[in-house]
Amino acid sequence: MSKPTVGIFGLTGCAGDQLLILNCEDELLDLVELLDIRDFVMANSARDEHSQLDVALVEGAVVTERDEAILRHVRQRSNMLIAIGACAATGGIPGMAPEIDRKQAFHDVYGDAAANFELAADRGRPLSDFVQVDGIIPGCPIEKHEFLGAIASLLQGNPPRLKEYPVCTECRIRENRCLLISDDALCIGSVTRAGCNARCPSLGVACIGCRGPSVDANFPSLEALLVSKGYAVKDIHDKLGVFARLPEPAEAPCAD
Amino acid sequence: MRRLVLVDELARVEGNGGITVELEGEKISKVEFNIFEGPRALEAIIRGRPARDIAGIVSRICAICAGVHYVTSIKATEAAFGTKVTETTELLRDLFVRAGNIESHALHVFLLAAPDYLGYPAATAMAADHPDAVKLALRMKKLGNTLQELVGGRAIHPVNPVLGGFGSFPRAADLVAAREELLWAIDALPIALDFVAALPPTEVCTADTTFAALAMPGRYGYFAGDEIVVVRPDGSTTRMPTREYRTLTKEFVVSHSFAKHSAFNGEPFMVGALARVTANRDLLNGSGVMAMKRLGLHVPSRTPLDNNVAQAVELAVDLQMALESVDQLLAGGLVPEAPVRIVPRAGTGTAVTEAPRGLLVHSYTYNEDGRIIAADVITPTAMNAASIERHFQYSVAQHEGGSDEALTRKLEMIVRAYDPCISCSVHLVRRS
Ligand code: SF4
Ligand code: SF4
Repeated sequence: MSKPTVGIFGLTGCAGDQLLILNCEDELLDLVELLDIRDFVMANSARDEHSQLDVALVEGAVVTERDEAILRHVRQRSNMLIAIGACAATGGIPGMAPEIDRKQAFHDVYGDAAANFELAADRGRPLSDFVQVDGIIPGCPIEKHEFLGAIASLLQGNPPRLKEYPVCTECRIRENRCLLISDDALCIGSVTRAGCNARCPSLGVACIGCRGPSVDANFPSLEALLVSKGYAVKDIHDKLGVFARLPEPAEAPCAD
Repeated sequence: MRRLVLVDELARVEGNGGITVELEGEKISKVEFNIFEGPRALEAIIRGRPARDIAGIVSRICAICAGVHYVTSIKATEAAFGTKVTETTELLRDLFVRAGNIESHALHVFLLAAPDYLGYPAATAMAADHPDAVKLALRMKKLGNTLQELVGGRAIHPVNPVLGGFGSFPRAADLVAAREELLWAIDALPIALDFVAALPPTEVCTADTTFAALAMPGRYGYFAGDEIVVVRPDGSTTRMPTREYRTLTKEFVVSHSFAKHSAFNGEPFMVGALARVTANRDLLNGSGVMAMKRLGLHVPSRTPLDNNVAQAVELAVDLQMALESVDQLLAGGLVPEAPVRIVPRAGTGTAVTEAPRGLLVHSYTYNEDGRIIAADVITPTAMNAASIERHFQYSVAQHEGGSDEALTRKLEMIVRAYDPCISCSVHLVRRS
């Protein structure tokens, strides 16, 4: 069997998911044996920018016109396109806080230069707002074991398989003390997709939802519980608005 | 005749950036370090949020230096609230940031920069001919990540550091295992240094360079210090308190306008490992002094490529000092401590630290409810941008009669030597 051809790309984000791939120190040299990595500009200056790819792994959100153009080009040359990391999968940090007017925010941070930005969207948008996405690897950043598992699936021609249940389930398996129930902490693990082995609560730190929403996440019941513990609705929504992605009331049409 | 030398997309750097050089005959009409990263405006979108949320959002500016961003953010908030943390917390933070430096330097020197000197497109290609060096670098890099994960809870985007301390302390058994790996790395270091020393000498440019770094208080490290020191090419220095960081960024980075001629007249400065070693060379430990000798590094240097060498020196310093910190922690027994209580108050707090690629500033203003009302984050690559362009200018001017391909290679090597974090830099550098 010939090796699958792969490309790894980054749009607007922190490059953490690509870095995580480079952080597979024990597996890296095997990975380059198993896969025919054609285009990975963060690691390799020898690029093949046009050949057909079996799999494209794309990190980062779409913010600029350049991001969109790269994404469309990658889509068109790839059989399977996988969104890696929170930014690509759900918009992540560049897409957080939908209620904030980015035009004003960009002006505040960048001054008059902001007028020159060529933007493709009102804020960081997930890849699926622009092109068909065949699978995601969630997380900010992605988890190493999930990435390697996804590669194993992709080698068989299948998209990555994800856990559908919430972080709380992993917490219970690890017999953690519940930070929400016992300490009244603003922990949003109950609406967040498992797969990190309850990384934060196991250290005594509340989950901030970096893996995005779990399937069937029950936002209203978490909100009611947190309100009963004295949290302001705005603070709850702010927290959920970073990664967990409350369903947007009126989804703006994508700039397409 | 007008000529363009272009790099559309820089490889082997973090984030999306490029180079543009425009020549009219032999005269340079434009030299730019371009940033293509999309704007995220994190400083603006965190406004109004409570203190506990800030580090987790702001540190996502960057992945390679997420660790130091995270704890620098925490340090700035604690400074605003007047929080004093315990000695163990300080020790753990120092180790955490040092571990990030080990990881980042092992990645950059051996896997991102070295392929340039040896003519490979990537470390994976270099591995065919230099398998031992690549494996050694990967193992050292992994050690940095292991330590970051032990203390920070995750190698990229930490979770365990919190306001006032840590969620949990690392377990002694894990530290003992990491200690074994540190001993291995210290043993293996001479091989790594010899690999760096044997890289073919490469000329990219020679230039008077001004450096800026944290003035380290008594001990070579990246997370303590109340003064910034600027070292000029003639060796003279200027010091300023860290809370007056704007003096540095105003006085020297006149603007981020990429002005066509001003880079020769203004005074851009370089931050990073070379700047730190230059400003704090008296504090290098024995391993660091040995490494300087072995690598033939002389400071102040006139070539930006020496930043790669200085990173190797810091690797030597850090492995030894990380071992000492681990021993100190183990001797102290790692008795669990709850984070110090935070009492929010109105005010401004500034933390200036050293990220692997240079000075990092986080400065926050809170209202009396402990909600953030203003944030200023200045990243090393934003500070370095003007200096990168200045070194480009020298390189182009000194590249008489050479081919454009050779020039492109030099410019790429310059920018990579700065180890830029382009995702970070978008905060201050405007798109051209
Ligand atoms: S600590 Fe958080 S993630 Fe764990 S069970 Fe409680 S609510 Fe769920
Ligand atoms: S516990 Fe929550 S915030 Fe922590 S890694 Fe898991 S999903 Fe992310």
